[in-house]
Parts: sequence; structure tokens; C-alpha cells
Amino acid sequence: MEVSFAKEIEKLKLGEGETFHGEGILAVTKALLQSGVSYVGGYQGAPVSHLIDVMVQAAPELGDLGVHVEPCTNEASAAAMLGASIMYPVRGAVTWKSIVGTNVAADALSNLASPGVMGGALIVIGEDYGEGASVIQERSHAFAMKSTMWLMDPRPNLPSIVNCVERSFELSEASNTPVMMELRIRACHVQGSFETKDNVKPAISMNSLAEAAPHDYEQLAHPPVTFGHERKKTGERMDAARAFIAEHGLNEVFDGPQGDVGLIVQGGLYNALIRALSELGLADGAGNCDLPIMALNVVYPLVPDEILSFAKDKKAVLVLEEGQPEYIENEIGTIFRRAGCDVTLAGKDMLPMAGEYTSEVIGTGVGKFLREHLPKIGNRLSDESYAQEVEALREEAKALLVEPVPPRPPGFCTGCPERPFFAALKLTQQEIGPVHYSADIGCHAFATFAPFNFGNSILGYGMSLASNASVASFQQKRPIAVMGDGGFWHNGLLSGVTSRLLNGGDGILVIMKNGYTSATGTQEVISSPDKALKLEAADKSATDGETTIEDALKGVGVKWLRTVHTYKVAQMRDTLREAFKTPFNGLKVIVAEGECQLERQRRVKPIRAKALKAGERVQRTRFGVDEDTCTGDHSCIRLSGCPTLTIKTSTDPLKTDPVAHVNNGCVGCGLCGEVAHAATLCPSFWRADIVTNPGWRDRARAGLRRMLTGVRV
Amino acid sequence: MTDKAPFRILLAALGGEGGGVLMNWIVEAARASGHRVQATSVPGVAQRTGSTSYYIEIARKEALDAVLSLVPMPGRVDAVVCSELVEAARVMAAGFVSPRLTTLISSTARFYSTAEKIAMGDGRYDEANVRKAAEKMARDSYLLDLGQLATENGTFVSATMYGALCGSGVLPFDLEQARTVLGDARSQAGFDAAVAAVQRMKDGAAPEAPEAAESDPAPRPDLSDLPDGLRTVIGHGLDRLRDYQDDAYAETYRARANLLIASADLSDHRAVHALTEACRRLALWMAYEDVARVADLKTRPERFERIRDEVQLQPGQTLTVTEYLKPRAEEIADILPVPIGRRIMARVARGGGIPFTGRGIHVRSNGVIGYRMLRTMAAMKHLRRRSYRFAEEQRAIEDWLMSMQAALAHSPDFAMGLAELPRVLKGYSDTLQRGKTAYARIMQDIVRPAVAAGTEADTARWLRDAIGAALADDSHAKLEAVLAGQPPAPEIPNLKRVENV
Repeated sequence: MEVSFAKEIEKLKLGEGETFHGEGILAVTKALLQSGVSYVGGYQGAPVSHLIDVMVQAAPELGDLGVHVEPCTNEASAAAMLGASIMYPVRGAVTWKSIVGTNVAADALSNLASPGVMGGALIVIGEDYGEGASVIQERSHAFAMKSTMWLMDPRPNLPSIVNCVERSFELSEASNTPVMMELRIRACHVQGSFETKDNVKPAISMNSLAEAAPHDYEQLAHPPVTFGHERKKTGERMDAARAFIAEHGLNEVFDGPQGDVGLIVQGGLYNALIRALSELGLADGAGNCDLPIMALNVVYPLVPDEILSFAKDKKAVLVLEEGQPEYIENEIGTIFRRAGCDVTLAGKDMLPMAGEYTSEVIGTGVGKFLREHLPKIGNRLSDESYAQEVEALREEAKALLVEPVPPRPPGFCTGCPERPFFAALKLTQQEIGPVHYSADIGCHAFATFAPFNFGNSILGYGMSLASNASVASFQQKRPIAVMGDGGFWHNGLLSGVTSRLLNGGDGILVIMKNGYTSATGTQEVISSPDKALKLEAADKSATDGETTIEDALKGVGVKWLRTVHTYKVAQMRDTLREAFKTPFNGLKVIVAEGECQLERQRRVKPIRAKALKAGERVQRTRFGVDEDTCTGDHSCIRLSGCPTLTIKTSTDPLKTDPVAHVNNGCVGCGLCGEVAHAATLCPSFWRADIVTNPGWRDRARAGLRRMLTGVRV
Repeated sequence: MTDKAPFRILLAALGGEGGGVLMNWIVEAARASGHRVQATSVPGVAQRTGSTSYYIEIARKEALDAVLSLVPMPGRVDAVVCSELVEAARVMAAGFVSPRLTTLISSTARFYSTAEKIAMGDGRYDEANVRKAAEKMARDSYLLDLGQLATENGTFVSATMYGALCGSGVLPFDLEQARTVLGDARSQAGFDAAVAAVQRMKDGAAPEAPEAAESDPAPRPDLSDLPDGLRTVIGHGLDRLRDYQDDAYAETYRARANLLIASADLSDHRAVHALTEACRRLALWMAYEDVARVADLKTRPERFERIRDEVQLQPGQTLTVTEYLKPRAEEIADILPVPIGRRIMARVARGGGIPFTGRGIHVRSNGVIGYRMLRTMAAMKHLRRRSYRFAEEQRAIEDWLMSMQAALAHSPDFAMGLAELPRVLKGYSDTLQRGKTAYARIMQDIVRPAVAAGTEADTARWLRDAIGAALADDSHAKLEAVLAGQPPAPEIPNLKRVENV
């Protein structure tokens, strides 16, 4: 990737007693180094991409620590990396986005958790839940329970997060168990400060090599020892973990005078709870609260003695647990029943089963709980008036705005090379009618939104082709599957392509070859163009000369294979038509090539700036629309969706509808012109080529044009 | 508790606009002035243009141990800053703007959402409502074009958003402290300009008004007895058609307009409105675009001037302009005399064509050859009166005029709809063909039967629904539903604008 993290890397080098200011996920990165990790791996995905990106770029600077850094090809390979900690006293950490990444990693995690670890093993998961989430709403908690790994959910401030990272390694080693730490999106991105320590050089590392461990069958996730592992996981390892958690006070109790009731909260929700309580008048800004609170920085396993001691002498406790189902509440219920404790347990009966627990939601739930179980306080609360106030604000806004606010989902960037493909597919469908479309994860999933509205299913990353294996058997027309190169290497080649070839199935696969996993921040894949290709391509698409994907496809036996540059809209439409109509029965793959525009622009900008400074000839292209000839039907926009192709009020006093307009963000990709041609739209598009520092040929031609046409430009 | 609460700022922006940069500036300035500060965001994926938000809490100086929240609470935000007007609407709709507490600062610039852009007519969100809501719902509101201010100062909207926020005086640190975190002169210039603009508004300068609309054509004594709007439209229409063809054609327009005027009751404002719209549509229709017109418009000096401005051409740079044209046999037939045109169209209908057409061509309109070629095409204007398309269009116009006269005489409501009907005739080639199909269907199923039976008044609503539906999607699925007698789906765009004029 062309983005530089130089500033962030400096922060990783801070020493004892200095202050780190920055983002949560970067604080985690620093905490890993302070914990003496020997290796770090992971698979990118918001909100944890930053961890891996920064580490990869920092590798040379951190060389003297000897930390091995590996951006893995998927979460399974990242999870499997933790295998290093099974037999060696080395600390390691991996990261990915959950729930999807944890799903992919699940096999390796089971096999890791069963034998357990010798060196501390930490999995940092970006819990993509609630507002802004881009994945299915499920909980990672289930994985911790089913594989018997411990799950941290620290209070969302930097000192607490950093402390949790450090304690996680100790907990992992004390109990021979991998530890997961979940950070919600906002916690990953939170800007805060903490006091740093020196980085710790690991005893075993790239710089300090070790002998191979002796063979120990006990450490293999293989029968018959797996039966013993199961007993250990739930026996001695669990006991050791509970002892460590209690001894080191990982969970925090904040006392309060109203001891008849208590609140048990996931650490990650603590700040939202305090804000809700201060709105109710039950806490001050510093967190001093009238009600006792137990903040669970470790949400699995619970320590029964801690829970029982907190519940002692209380009439009722409320568990604040985000997401479903209510694992923690159920576990606390079991703890109470087994101990014969008759404290009333409340939780999802007071708060919603699904959805993000914002302060607004929490306030309402706590209010309800207190009215029922501590009426002397509950009956004088202001939560209902707050709810009414907010409701009134929303109603008033709705009335004043009249229309509902139009949605604004993210979309393809200006100049994105994927958009032209979807224009071509739209044109193809206008000819042959609708086809079953299997969508995938990646930037191309934006084609599920207007103006393209493509997609009958999304089944997972790299799964589009696999997901229409059976659809093909009952469709009149061939179904089409689209995936990105990121998805192809993550999973698609094996789950989709080889499976289809093995079964001799028919079908069409389109691979968007833009050179990077762009949706997560343009991390490299195995088919990313190398430096030489980029240099050669200059301002053109650097993916043109890269053939790893094509070679792999040929290698596994794909017979019908075309590579088409996405900006050739008409050619792409013709290729698609051929794929749908050809008598060839078997897998047809179209590699839609066009380098990610973000990466290309980052590469091109400095080249241009340098040339301009040196007074060299530089040509820039942009497009425009003649408003005189535009009739305002906007069919170009429906086929393009480019952010810079927009509308404006016509200056023609007779026209009432807004006309199409290209704004200054245009990068001159040429899609609007190509679409106008391919779809026979209208003659309104023009292309302007502007030459700065023109040579004598340019100037002579310009002079001749002026003389013979009378046009001043 | 409000006075002890931290200062809470919600930033609403679009992905790629620098909201993160703005957030970091605020964090840095707050920290430099000795405040404890926390900020976070939900930036989602790395792509552009989606709504995104950032949330900042600055603890009161005395509250060093404050627990800061990561999620804004509705009704409990001190300052909201938006980079775009409809994002301000979104924030208000979610309940974050409170008249008790919130200072709302929003750019008035519009970055239209896809939903607004893809409508076949005018799908734009009503800006006046947002302004009205902002005024009512915020404690203080500052609406100004921060995007324009940024462009003028060669910087990004993040800098002017920051300036406007600081200029409003609500932050717990002063302007100078705020300004020091800006590293470059352009950001500072944008910041200063926004500070000044907001301070002018605080001092009671009139809030920025939306730009005034259309200019008046030259006064015409011969139209002076007509109502204002109608006079303006007819004036523009006459200019347009003289420019399009000649004085005689403009006179034809005048005569047609007179026929309509004669049918209408000028004391009924609905009839006047229908008449005005009908005269507008008539002018646009009569000046239909054929290859001669397009070539003419593309080679005018003022058009090249406009392009120079639009691409911000600097002295010393050279510019070439390339047109994307794809004339088909149909477009050639349009401008040729009726018998030849008819023969070509028959050939096209049989699946044939004529050589050198139907292919996309790139014409350099300010190049010597391209320019000459376009001027030659423009000169075909002189063939227009005898051309195939001219005959077709005049026939259709006359047909519409007849119905229009009847409508104006019988039902102003129906006439309002019928006046809008030519609006569905838009675009070129396939798009135009679809428009013609919709037009023909509405004429045949609704207009002719109503005019014949004299049931215009009862049919007015149906007609307007059908036009709204025809402009709602290019597959005509909604139109077919309305024609089949189903009630229109409530979300048909344009319907409102057809109705509430």
C-alpha cells in the first residue's frame, strides 16, 4: 500500500514514562511490544486493519526487537500462526475482524485451544457490532465458550485497554489457554492517552533462535489426547484462569451507597452506562455512582465467587450484556442457582435482546429495573422524561423536514475501476434479461446499492461462486458470481473455482482484479503488482501486466478465461454476452482488470507534482456535460453512479429538471464517455485534455486551431 | 447535570471529506489547552461518499477524572458540525439537535445522494425544509457554504468546518489556541475565512439566502398584458426558437401560445399556472435536439468559454475538447428530407442501417477537422423545416395542443397535468424511445378518452399520478401499475413537484 504510517511508527517507539496520544488499536499495538511478543499476525478488516498495517511498515524499525510480522492470507492462517505458542515459551498475537474472521478461523482455533499454549497467545478481535457494522450481527462470545478460550472486554479507555493486553498474556500463560480480547469499533478508533513502558525484547525471536521442540504427542490436537484436553480445558485450566482473574483483580467493582441492587456490566459498555446513569442523576461525571457496579473486563470465564460476593445482600442485580443470546446472564443464573442464591436476576427482560447498547438504551433499561426493584429511587427517575424529550425532538424534526432523509450508504470511489464493470453488466442485462447474481464481500458489494441494485445473495468472503453451485442447476440462464481478488485469494479459488471444476459445473465467475484488498484499506495480496510493474505502468493500471490470478486459474484447469480492462465498457459487455450465450459448458471466468484508483492516484500524484515542478509537460484529463444538450433524464447517472457525476440546477430558464454535471473531483477516468458510447446515451459528454507546460508541438497545434477555427481556446 | 457534563461535539461528514482530520485538530487543540479529551468515529469501510460521523468529548478543566463516553446521546450534544446540508437533516432526524443545548453549524453545500440523482426528473431533497428545521431545532444555527469557502481558499471543507466551529465561540478554548494546530497556510486561510463568516452571522448579518433563480429576458411591450410568469416564459420561448430556427418559427410559437391563452381563463391562477407550464414545454418541445442543433450548440464560442472556466484553465495551458458522439441511422434520417428520412427509417425497422453510423466516434470540437465537421452539421439546420423529424414532431405537437386547449377550457387541474406530460419526452435514442412509449400510453389510455368524454376534471389526479410514475423508473413498471388502475406507490419521485407547484 502507498499510505505511510511514519507518524504512528514513531509512537510505537516510546519508552518508559512517556505519554502516548493516539488511537485505541494503535495503543494495542504498542501494548503488544511492551508485552514482549515474538510474532504478530492477522488479517485486515475494519476496525483492526491499522494494527497489521502499522506493524508491517514498522517491521524494519522494530528490527532490533526481532518481532516477526505476517499479514496472513486469511483468518484461518492467522489463527494457525498461534500454533507457535503451543510448544514454545513465545508470546504471540493475531488480529482480525469478528464475527466473520472468527468464523473463518474457527477450525484452527479449536485445534489451538485443545492442546493449549505454553507461551501467551492473544487474539485481538475487532467486534464489528452495532452502528456502522458491516457484518452479520453475532457474538464472538460463543467461540470463546465453545473452544474454551478466555474473553476480555476491557473498559474502553486506553490505560484499561493496554493493561488488558498485558494481563491477557499473563492469564494465557498462567492457564495455558489462548485469550481473546474484543474491542468494539468505537473503542478501536478511540483517541486517548496512556503512559508507556519500554518495549520488551522477546527471549526467543528472529534475533534469538531456538532449537526445535521435542515431539510431545500430548500437544497434538489428535485422538486420543483430545479427550484429556477436554477435561483439562474445563478443569485445571479453567481453575487456573479463575484464580488468576480473582488474584489480579481483572474485574472491577465500583461501590455505591444503594447496595440493595447492583449492576453487572461488560467492561466495554462501562462508559455508556456511566453516561446513562449521570443522565438519570445517579452518577457524577467521574463515575461515582449511587449503585454498586461490577465491570467485567473478563467476560469469560466468570469467577463464581466474585459474582456471588457482589450479589451478596442485594435484592436484585441487572446484567447489561450487549448482543444475543444472553450468555453472561445465563451463566450468572446458573451460578446463583447452584449456590442457592435467591437474588433476583434481571437482564434481557429489562433491556432489548438485540442491538447496540447506547446510553439512551441503557438509561431506559436501568430506569425500568429500578422502578421494579428499587422503587424509592426508581420512582423519582427522569429517564421517562428524557425518552419523551428525545421522542419529541425526533417527531419535530420529522414534521419540519417533511420527507424522510435520503439514505447515503458508502459507494464506489471516484474513478473506481469496478464501477464500469457494473455498467457493462447492466447493459448486458438490458439485452438478455435478469440473471441470478451471487454477490460477495468487498468493494464490489457496493453494487448491491442504487443505481446498480445487483445481488441475490451474499454468503461470505470469497463464497460467491460456491453459493450458486446449486442455483445453476435450476436456472434458465447461467448465474453469475462476482468476487474481488481479495476474496479470490482468501477463499474463492478453493471453495469456488476448484469445487466447480471438480464437479464439472457450468457457470460464470467474474474476478475484480484491482490489485489489493481495497475495501479494508488496500492491503497487498499475492497478485498485487510489484514495484517494477508499478514503475512501468506509471499513471496507467498496474494490474494489467500482473497474471498470477490467470496463471492460477489456468493451472487448476479453467478452459474459458478472458481478461478485460474494465474501462472498455463495450468490450466487457460483449464478453459478458458471450459468456452467457456460449455453448461452452463449464466454468467461464472473466478477469475484470483495473487497478484500484486510490492506490493509483497515490502513486501518480507525486509523479505529477514532481514533473510540474520540473516544468515538464503534464497532461490532465477531465470530463464534463453540456448543459445545453442535457435533457435531465439522468440515465448516465443510473449507469455510472460516479460521485463526481452529479446534478445541478439548469441555468436554462425554461428547464425545470436539474441537469447532469461533472464536478471538480473528476479524475478523468473516462467512464461517463464510455458509457455514453456503449449505451448510446446522448451527445452531452465532453472530454477536456489540459496540457500544462505545453511543448512547441502543443503550442503550434493550439495556434493552428485558433487560426483556422476562430475558437479562442 | 448539564453544566458539569463534558463538552460534546458531533461531526457529520461524508467518507473522504477529511472528518478524521478535523476530529484530530479538535483533539490536539483541546489537549494543548490543557483539557482531557476523547474522540472516536465509526468510519466504516475505506470507501467514499457514505455518511459517517465522529464524536468528541472534552472534559471540563476541573474534571480530570471524567468518564468520557464513546457514543453521542440524542438531545445531549453541545455542538453539531456538518459538511453537507442533508447530513444536518439526518442528524436532526436522529434527535441530536436540541433547542436547549445545541449549536448547529452546517455547510449549505449539497452533495446529492444517489437516490436524489437517479430520479428521471427532479428528485432533490427540499433544502428549504432543512433550513427551516435548523432554525427551529437548534439553539443557534449557522448555515453557510463551507465547501465554497474552502474552494475559494484552496483548502478542504475540514478546515472551514473547523473555522466555523471555532468562530461560533462555543468551544472551551480560544481561537488562537485552535488555530495553532493547523500546519499549513491554506488550511489557516480557510479557517480564518470561516471564522469571519460565522462571526458576521453572529453580529446579525442576514443569513445566507439561496441564490435567486432565473433572469428575465428583455422586456417586451407586446406581452405586457400577460401575467408575470407567463410573460417571462413566452419571452424566453421566443428567444429560444429564433435562435433555434428563425423569426418565422418564433412566430409559429407565438401563434400556438396565443391559441392556448385564448382557451384559458386568466383570472383562475390554476389555469395561469397550467398555461405557463404548457408554454414552457411547448418551447422546449419545438426546440427539440437534432444533430444540427447539437453540432451548433457544441461549436459556439460561449460554450468553449464555459469549458475553460469549468476546467479552470490557467494561462499558458493548452486545451483540447473531445466530443463523444454516436450518431445512428435514426439521427441521420431525422434531419434529412421526409421521403429520404422515411426510407431510412423503414430500413432501420427492417434491421438495416446506413454506412458509418451506429459507431461511437470521438470528435475534437476545437480541432480544425472536428470543428469544420460540426459546423457543416450545424448548417443542416436549413434542411430542418423539410426534415422527417420536423414533420413528426409538429404533428405530435399539434395533437398535444388540441388536447391542451380542451383541457384549459374544461379543467385547470387536468391542464396542469397535461402541460407536464411532454416532460416524459427526454434524452436521446433508447431513453427518448422509452419516453415516447410512455407518452403514447398516457395519451391513449388517459388523455384522449378524457377529452373525448369531457371527464377531464375527474381524470386529473390519475393523469398526474401517471406522469409521476413515468418519471419514477425507466422500466415503466410503476407507470404500468398506475395505468392498470392501481394507486401510485407513495414514494414516486416528482409526484409532489407535479402536484404542489
